[in-house]
Amino acid sequence: MTDTLAKAAATPPGAARPGGPPRRRLRPVVRSVVKHTVLILCALVMLYPVLWMVVSSLRPNDEIFQAPDLFLTNLEAGNYGKGWNAFSKPFSHFMINSGIVVLGAIVGNLVACSMAAYAFARLEFKGRRWWFAIMLVTIMLPIHVIIVPQYVLFSEFGWINTYLPLIVPKFLATDAFFVFLMVQFIRGIPTELDEAARIDGAGHPRIFLQVILPLMVPALATTAIFTFIWVWNDFFSQLIYLTDPEMYTVPVALRGFVDAQSGTNWGAALAMSVVSLLPVFLVFLFGQRFLLRGIATTGGK
Amino acid sequence: MSATAELRSLRSGRRPAAKQQNKAAFFFLLPWFLGLFVITLGPMIASLYLSFTDYNLLQPPEFAGLDNYSRILDDARLHQSLQVTFVYVLVSVPLQLALALALAVLLDRGIRGLAVYRSVFYLPSLLGSSVAIAVLWRTVFGTEGLFNEVLGLVGIGGRGWISEPETALSTLIVLNVWTFGAPMVIFLAGLRQIPASYEEAAAVDGAGRWRRFWSVTMPLLTPIIFFNLVLQIIHAFQAFTQAFVVSGGKGGPADSTLFYSLYLYQRGFGNFDMGYASALAWLLLLLVGTFTAINFWAAKYWVFYDD
Amino acid sequence: MSGSAKARLLGAVALSGALVLTACGSSGGAVERSDGQVTLRVTWWGEETRAGLTQEAIAAFEKEYPDITVKGEFKDWDGYWDALATTTAANDSPDVVQMDELYLASYAERGSLLDLGEAGEFLDTSQFDEESLKTGEVDGTQYAMPIGVGVLANIVNVDLFEKYGVELPDDATWTWDDYADLADELAEKSEGKLNGSSITGGMDTGSVRYWARLHDDELFDKNGDVTLDPQTLASMWQYNLDLMGSGGVESAAQAVESYNAGLEAGSLATGKVAMGFSYNTQITALREASGADLRLLRLPGSGGADAAYFKPSMYWAVSSQSDHPAEAALLTDFLVNHKAAGDILGTERGIPANGEVRKAVTADLTENDKIAVEYMESVTPGPSPVVTPKGGSGVEPMLQRYTQEVYAEQTPPEKAAQAFVDELQSEIDSAK
Repeated sequence: MTDTLAKAAATPPGAARPGGPPRRRLRPVVRSVVKHTVLILCALVMLYPVLWMVVSSLRPNDEIFQAPDLFLTNLEAGNYGKGWNAFSKPFSHFMINSGIVVLGAIVGNLVACSMAAYAFARLEFKGRRWWFAIMLVTIMLPIHVIIVPQYVLFSEFGWINTYLPLIVPKFLATDAFFVFLMVQFIRGIPTELDEAARIDGAGHPRIFLQVILPLMVPALATTAIFTFIWVWNDFFSQLIYLTDPEMYTVPVALRGFVDAQSGTNWGAALAMSVVSLLPVFLVFLFGQRFLLRGIATTGGK
Repeated sequence: MSATAELRSLRSGRRPAAKQQNKAAFFFLLPWFLGLFVITLGPMIASLYLSFTDYNLLQPPEFAGLDNYSRILDDARLHQSLQVTFVYVLVSVPLQLALALALAVLLDRGIRGLAVYRSVFYLPSLLGSSVAIAVLWRTVFGTEGLFNEVLGLVGIGGRGWISEPETALSTLIVLNVWTFGAPMVIFLAGLRQIPASYEEAAAVDGAGRWRRFWSVTMPLLTPIIFFNLVLQIIHAFQAFTQAFVVSGGKGGPADSTLFYSLYLYQRGFGNFDMGYASALAWLLLLLVGTFTAINFWAAKYWVFYDD
Repeated sequence: MSGSAKARLLGAVALSGALVLTACGSSGGAVERSDGQVTLRVTWWGEETRAGLTQEAIAAFEKEYPDITVKGEFKDWDGYWDALATTTAANDSPDVVQMDELYLASYAERGSLLDLGEAGEFLDTSQFDEESLKTGEVDGTQYAMPIGVGVLANIVNVDLFEKYGVELPDDATWTWDDYADLADELAEKSEGKLNGSSITGGMDTGSVRYWARLHDDELFDKNGDVTLDPQTLASMWQYNLDLMGSGGVESAAQAVESYNAGLEAGSLATGKVAMGFSYNTQITALREASGADLRLLRLPGSGGADAAYFKPSMYWAVSSQSDHPAEAALLTDFLVNHKAAGDILGTERGIPANGEVRKAVTADLTENDKIAVEYMESVTPGPSPVVTPKGGSGVEPMLQRYTQEVYAEQTPPEKAAQAFVDELQSEIDSAK
C-alpha cells in the first residue's frame, strides 16, 4: 500500500517534499465561519433567479413583471392550481410520462455505457483508439441536421409517438458522454485489483461485475443523476417524437403555456416550472450521497 | 513490489492474451456497436450526403456538388458566428471549469451541510433549457435587473446588458459559468474516488494541505479534468439552447450572440436551407474534432493515469 | 467482423429511406371520401387555452362525423415549425395544419399543401369575403383558409396619460409629427420616468408594411419580389432614431429587451411607455398583464390613406401528404364555417375571418374582445398585401437584425436599408 502511495506521490512533477511544517495559522472555528460566509454569499447570488422564479410563481399575473424584488405583497397560490389543471390531463400525468422516459434512459445508460466503458478502459482490441475516436465524433454533429434522417429511420421502425426513440438509444450506449466519463473513472481504479481477480481465475464479466462496478459507484451515480436531469429537461427530441398530447412529457407540456401572439400565462408557467424542478432537485439532493461512496471508504465522511 | 512491476510490464507490453480480449471487447461493446450501426451512423452519413445537395426539407434534395462548401467562404454571418463561438468557448470553458473545480474541492469534505450546499450550487444547472430561463436572465441582467441595482448601490450607472450588442455575449458567458453544476459534480465524484489513504500517507510524510492537494490530489484528478475539458469544449462549440432561449432564437441583438449552432439552425429550419446547414454541421465537426484531437495529443503531457 | 462494410450498408439504407420518402408527395388523384373509419391528425401552435378550445371543437366535429376520428397535436411556435418541417420532410405530416402568413408560400409553392379547390366539394368558402379569402392564396391558388384577422393598432395607456396630465390625441386626424410631439410631451411631463412610446417599427414586418403603404410602397410585389424602396425603410428608422435622442421613444436596448420579453413583460404591459404598437387582438393579453386602462387608437397618418389592412392571424391548410384529403377538408370546413365550432372557438385565434361566424360570435363578447372588434370596425382596410414569398420565411429575424444595428448606431439607416433589401431579395432568389 505504501508502495502505491509512493508512486502516486512521486510521479508528478513537484512532488511533496517530506518534512515541511504543517501550516495552521487560522483557528478551525474562524476558518469554518469564513468558509460558510463565503459559501452562503455565493449561494445567494447563484440562487437569486431561482428565488425570483419561486416568488413570481406566487404572484398575480399583472404583478409578475412589475416588481423586480423578492417581496411578496399579494399571495396568489392559484397559479399552481391553474397550471396543474391547465391541460386535459393534470400536470402529474406529464410528470409520470417524463418519469417513464427518465427511468428507461437511466437503466439504459447505466448498463450500456458501463459495458462499453469497460471495454475501452480495460481491454486491448483491434482498433481501440479508432473506435473511441468514432464514438467521440458521433456527438459532434448538432441534432438539427440529424433529426430529419433520424425521424425517417424511427418512423420506419414504427416508433413515432412512442417513448422508444427516447429510451432505446440509451440502451445502445449512444450517450458517448457517459461512456467517456466512465472510461476516465475506470482508468482511475488501480489495475492491481483486477489483476488480482484475474489471478484468482475471474473472467472479464466477473471482473466487470464484481471488481469494477462496485468501485465506480460515484461514476454510476453521476451518470444516473445526469441522465435524470438531462432527459427530464431535454426538449427537442421529445417535442419531435411525441405527437399525442397524452404522451407529452414535462418540458413539452411546459412550453404549452407559452405563446407569443395570444399571450403567455406566466403565473401558471412559472408555477409548473417550480413543480417540475422539484423532482430533479430532490433526486440530486438525495442522489448525491452516492457520490460519497466508492473507494474512499477511509478518512472521508 | 515485484509482482506489481511485472503486471505493469505485462500491461504496457504485447499481451499474450490479446486475441481473447478481442472477443471480450466485442461482447462488451455489442450494445454500442448496435447503436452505432443501426441508429447513429445512418443519419450522420445522410447528413453528410445532404451537405452536397440543395435541400429545402420539403422537396427531394438535388445534388449540388461543392456549392454549399464554397458558400462558406464568403458568408459574413457565418464568420460572425464563428467569432462569437470562439470567444464563447475560449472564455467560458476555462472560467466554468475553474469555478467548478474550486467549489468541488471546497465542498468535498469537512464542512457541515455539504449536501445542501452542493444541491444549492447545482440548482441553476437544473433549470437547463427551461422556458423560464429567458425571464430569469432578464431579472438579473435586464435594464431593471439585479446586476444594475447592485451597480447602482456603488454608484455605477447600469445598462441593458442582455440587449446591447457590446455586452450580450458576456451575459451568456456568465450564464454558462453560472451553470457549472455538471462539471462540479463530476469533479466531486472524481475526488471521492481518490483513495483517502493516498492523502493520509502524504500527510504522515509531513506534506502540508496545499502541497498535498497539488502533488497528490491534482495529479490523480487530471483524468477527470481532462474529461471535463474535452466535453465542455465539445458542448460549448455546440452551444445552442441558452442562446436560443435568451435571444428568442435570433442570436441578437444585431447578431452579437449568433452562435454557430444557432446560425446553422436558422439556415436549416428558418430558411429551409438544410443542405447548407448540413455543410455547416460537418464544418463544425471538423473544427470540434480538431480541437479534441489537439486535446488528446496534449493530454500525454499532463494527464496522469494510474493504470 | 467487417464493421465498415456493415456501416456503409446500413448508412445507405437509412439514406435511401430518407430520399425515397421525401420524394413521394400526394397521389394527385381525385379528392373523395374514404370508406370506413378514418383517422386524421391536426396540429397547431399555441398555449393551453387554445388547446382546450380546439380539442372541444374537435369533439364536436367527431360527433357530427362519427366515422372520422381526429387527433389533435399542439406545440409552441418555434417547436411547431421545427416539427412540421421535420414531419413533412419524412412524409409524415399531420393532415390538417395551422399555417402562418410567413410560411404559407414556403410550404405551398414546394408542394406540401393541398390545393383547396380540389376539395371544393367538402369545403365551403362562400361565407368569406373575397379580400380575406385572397389572403390564403398563393399565385392565385387557394391553399389555406384564414381563421382570424387582426389589425395593427396604436395602444395607449390612459392611466399614464392621466397621471402626467397629457391629453389623449384625436386618432382620426393625427399625423406622425403629432405622434412624435406627443411622445416627447409624455417623456417631458413624466420627467424622464417614462418614454413616450415604444419604438414604432422594425421588429416585425407588419410595422414596415404599414409604413411602406403610407408611402405608396409595399414590402413585396405581386410576383413575390422585394419592391420596398430602401429610402422608405430608412425614413422609418430615422424617425425612431430622432425620437430616441429626445427620449420620446425608448432606447435601443430597451426596445430589444421589451421585444424579447414578449407581450406580458414588454414595455407597454409594464408601463414603461405610454404608447406603442400591437395587433388589436392582443389587447386582452396586454390589459391582463398590465392591469392598466389600455385603449386602441387608429394609427397615425391613417386618416386619408387606406394603409391599414386586415392581417390573417393564422390559417388552416391541408397537407398534400394526407391520405384523406376529403376528410381533412371536411374538418377545415367545420372549423371555419360551422356555428358550433365558432361558438366554441370564439375569438381565441383572432376575430373570425368568416363574416357569418364573426356576426354570431360578436353577439356575446367579453369587454376586451369588444374593444378589439369595435376598433376593427372603425378601420377602413386597404387591399391585403401578398403573402411573404417562398424563401422569405426568415424575413423577421433579418429585419430585426438590421433594425438593431441601426438603433444601436452601428450602421447608418440608408446603408442598412439597402443591405436589408438586397439580402432579402437574394434569399428569395435562391429559393426560386
